[in-house]
Amino acid sequence: MIHHHPGDELLLAYAAGTADEAVSLIVATHMSYCAVCRERTAKLESLGGALLQDLPPAELEAGALDNVLARLDAVKPFERPRRAASRDGTPAVLRAYIGGDLSTVRWRSMGPRLSYAPLFKRGKVSARLLRGVPGADSGVHHHCGTEFTVVLQGGYTDPTGNYGPGDLQVMEDGMSHNVVADPGEDCVNLAVTTGRLKFDSLLQKIAAPLFGF
Amino acid sequence: MVLRLPMSAKPEVQEMNALLGRVAMERDRTAFAALFSHFAPRVKAYLLRQGAPAAVAEDLAQEALLSLWRKAHLFDPAKASVATWLFTIARNLRIDAIRREKRPELDPEDFMPETGPSADQSMVIADDESRLRLALKELPADQVQVVQLSFFADKPHSQIATELGIPLGTVKSRLRLAMSRLKRALGEME
Ligand SMILES: [Zn+2]
Repeated sequence: MIHHHPGDELLLAYAAGTADEAVSLIVATHMSYCAVCRERTAKLESLGGALLQDLPPAELEAGALDNVLARLDAVKPFERPRRAASRDGTPAVLRAYIGGDLSTVRWRSMGPRLSYAPLFKRGKVSARLLRGVPGADSGVHHHCGTEFTVVLQGGYTDPTGNYGPGDLQVMEDGMSHNVVADPGEDCVNLAVTTGRLKFDSLLQKIAAPLFGF
Repeated sequence: MVLRLPMSAKPEVQEMNALLGRVAMERDRTAFAALFSHFAPRVKAYLLRQGAPAAVAEDLAQEALLSLWRKAHLFDPAKASVATWLFTIARNLRIDAIRREKRPELDPEDFMPETGPSADQSMVIADDESRLRLALKELPADQVQVVQLSFFADKPHSQIATELGIPLGTVKSRLRLAMSRLKRALGEME
């Protein structure tokens, strides 16, 4: 059961295609778990279709139609790429970035209870996987820029509530919280940050830059 | 809630569906040409609004319609209108060609059945475009403008606010008002 969904603005940016790749990955991963947001997105895409229909047409170059007609015979019908099935329920959209299932991720340690795996970085925006053993505590940290999180496995609790598989959390610039992994299985999250995190504890202040946070 | 559609909007959607059906089943070039003439200039207009240079917008508009030819067999009229489907194709081409990024998504341009909404909801979705066009006509012009810019101008809301010379809060409240009225037009439960 999903309790935390993206807001309209975020979903609109995804449907319109104005959200960047990392933020789109967050939304698409959430939608892998959430039929409600798949339907909301379909409606927003219909809005895109309605707006497209109502746009004043632009003038095409002379011969545009003939040019395309001449190419029709040369192109092959599109075939949907086959995606290998996941063995552990890892969303397909995420498998493309991991290069396999969650169970194949090579984790890098950030101490005894936390580990991470970078996925990609574009400018200031980073996408990574985070993993905490039950009870692991992130420590209080402040967000410079926005952080988007989707839970993939297990769950965590912060002062705003409890987050389980598929739940999406947005931490805006300037907000701070500390996150504790729930009991049970390890908590694994997809996290996208558009800026750095600042930690309160001295140890983490020293450690965070080493891990690229 | 039952919303009566204007006589003009729904048949247009059905006409486009029928043309695409002929492209898919019979590889009908006349039907393709009709779709091209209707949609390629609109797709080009969309790409120009996204800030694409004219030559790029022209190329991508032609590419988008070529994609329609290649993917016609994947189109499902129960899941989206032709305009909506083409919007998603053009959007993804733009991200790929202009932003040079991938677009992570569940269902590329073709609404894969295993991730699509359940069958009883999809009939509603097929009518969404007509309902939304009608609802857009009823919205105040300043709200339509913000919806269009949110969709078609690849700019953050803060920049849209600056360009319109209005506070950021006004952009957001106009968008919120517009979205809630559009949702109501779709009969969505809040
Ligand atoms: Zn959701």
